[in-house]
Amino acid sequence: MNLGNLDSLTFFRPELILLGGILLVVISDIALKGLRNLINPLLTLAALLLALFYTLQTDHGSAMTLFEGMLALDNFALFFKVFLLVAGILVLLGSLHSEELASVHQGEFHALLLAVTLGMLLMANSAHLVMLYLSLELVSLTSYVMVGYLRSDRLSNEASMKYILFGAVSTGAMLYGFSLLYGMTGSLDLFAIRDALLAQEVVGFNQVTLVLVVVLTTAGFGFKTAAVPFHFWCPDVYTGAPTPVTAFLSVAPKAAGFAILVRFFLGGLSQPAGEQWAFISGIDWPMVLMVVSVMTMSLGNIAALTQNNLKRMLAYSSIAHAGYILMGVVLLTGTGLKAMLVYLFVYLFMNLGAFFVVTVIFNSEKTFELEDYNGMFRRSPFLAVAMSIFLLSLIGIPPFAGFLGKLYIFGAVIDQGLYWFALVGALNAAVAAFYYMRVMKHMILENDDRPPTPLRISTLNRALLVLLLVPNILLIVFWTPIDRWAANSITLFGGL
Amino acid sequence: MSVTDIVFILTAIVTVGSAVVVVVSRSLIYSVFSLLFTFFGVAVLYVFLGADFLAGAQVLIYVGGILVLLLFGVMLTHRLYNLNLTTERFQPVAGTLIAAAVFASISLAAFKTKWKLVGERELEPTTQQIGEAFLSSYLLPFEIASVLLLVALIGAAMLVRRRTDV
Repeated sequence: MNLGNLDSLTFFRPELILLGGILLVVISDIALKGLRNLINPLLTLAALLLALFYTLQTDHGSAMTLFEGMLALDNFALFFKVFLLVAGILVLLGSLHSEELASVHQGEFHALLLAVTLGMLLMANSAHLVMLYLSLELVSLTSYVMVGYLRSDRLSNEASMKYILFGAVSTGAMLYGFSLLYGMTGSLDLFAIRDALLAQEVVGFNQVTLVLVVVLTTAGFGFKTAAVPFHFWCPDVYTGAPTPVTAFLSVAPKAAGFAILVRFFLGGLSQPAGEQWAFISGIDWPMVLMVVSVMTMSLGNIAALTQNNLKRMLAYSSIAHAGYILMGVVLLTGTGLKAMLVYLFVYLFMNLGAFFVVTVIFNSEKTFELEDYNGMFRRSPFLAVAMSIFLLSLIGIPPFAGFLGKLYIFGAVIDQGLYWFALVGALNAAVAAFYYMRVMKHMILENDDRPPTPLRISTLNRALLVLLLVPNILLIVFWTPIDRWAANSITLFGGL
Repeated sequence: MSVTDIVFILTAIVTVGSAVVVVVSRSLIYSVFSLLFTFFGVAVLYVFLGADFLAGAQVLIYVGGILVLLLFGVMLTHRLYNLNLTTERFQPVAGTLIAAAVFASISLAAFKTKWKLVGERELEPTTQQIGEAFLSSYLLPFEIASVLLLVALIGAAMLVRRRTDV
């Protein structure tokens, strides 16, 4: 079913609410000078919660397109919308008691957070190359500003500048890929592109050109998901940005990037075949992405080994996780896609958790260096235990949630008989265990000579950490709803 | 060779040539001024494609807006001449190889791909079609573009605010 502009508005409530939220925050920032520090976060939270409520309420029957084919509304998009809104809410709560952000004016921060969430929701929905590009650009542009939010901080400025330069190049490459695709099919609509490719049979030099298209567009999506070799911005940007922003970047735009990648490759360059997808003959894009996946996790994990700055280490670790998540995409099966969704969901809680511990420690210690984490267990057992659980979860050790994610991903890979691929993943997980454990060793086993002064944690931050710990511990027991939700969410418009 | 061909070749030479000057010139002023010719050349290429509105917009926005802004920016910098704009890491061999590979693959793709051609079209003004598309099938991108501009505005305001003004 394809809806016109006016009929689509009923299904567009979450986005409209976010848009209203942006305007209200901007106005209250100017008009309510005395109260703005109290009202802006509340307004932002209300907008995000309301948007989440309406997203959960959305009952679209079967998959359909909105706004004359610009957006696709299906269970897959809904999964990501819920995911992104939850990530937005968690990051907002985490940013409230952050010393880094407290030193600067925060009015714009909340407006930007809403804008970037709006852009990501649109990314998850886009079914048209124009919309795809525009939503990607909305997210990128807002991220550039958020990264450079600490204006008097040199690293923050440098990070923002690097982010813009890399972003401009990869977006340019992606657009060039789109233009080649348009030249071959005469259409910008993903589903029309697929039909055109199926109708004309890709033969001769068109195969080479389509490989070029795959490589060029992967540059754009790879930039958003921080996949090797488009990851160069990632360590510097993650280190320079305010920590709550880093936490946000490492989860939300990455997930939105995966949504758009799946939408483009499965929706545009593949066709459903029985229980799974088949790539349109002549465009072996899974091969390209498989190479990217192996490179991403290997390089991310190996580079993380030698990092002594926690933020930088977590940046490389998040690159490695992008590699694991990609494993689910290249299989072209429903199981693979489901595994990817489960992994993303688990990754949200473990990665945000690790970054929030870093934020909390920075609040009182003003440092990101691993050396300064020595003796943390004696100073705040709660923080050390929480960090250990997040890290063990990131390694994928049972009984924590990360194990569930790895189990699904590797299971789906083995299902397809790609034993070497699963082996590469398992070897990587073993390497990763080393550097995660190293942090735990510093926090728990190594003590410095100073007397252990207790670390102060605000009640809000403590509550938030508990909130993030709960899914990490309990998901392994209550995994059925997640399993069912993910299994439901693999229905793509024009797909299975 | 018809007159159109000659005009096209001249335009192409001017566009590419001035783009090369933009990159290799050691003076920022020269770079910015030769960018003027690049932008005009691209506008003429749009005319060749029958995209009249796009050509006009190119001149108005790029030449009239962005280039003037660039000029102001350059005029306000301290050192205009003999700037060393290259990075410390200069890799001529790898750079040349990659550039050659990109050029070869893109130009091969341009010549050898079987494009979907629409055939000869009558030249007619595109303004009305664009306007109608913006208010019908492209309404959502049109509106989201304005959100993008709002964010850019907020970002710019944030960047230029005085540090003390909290």
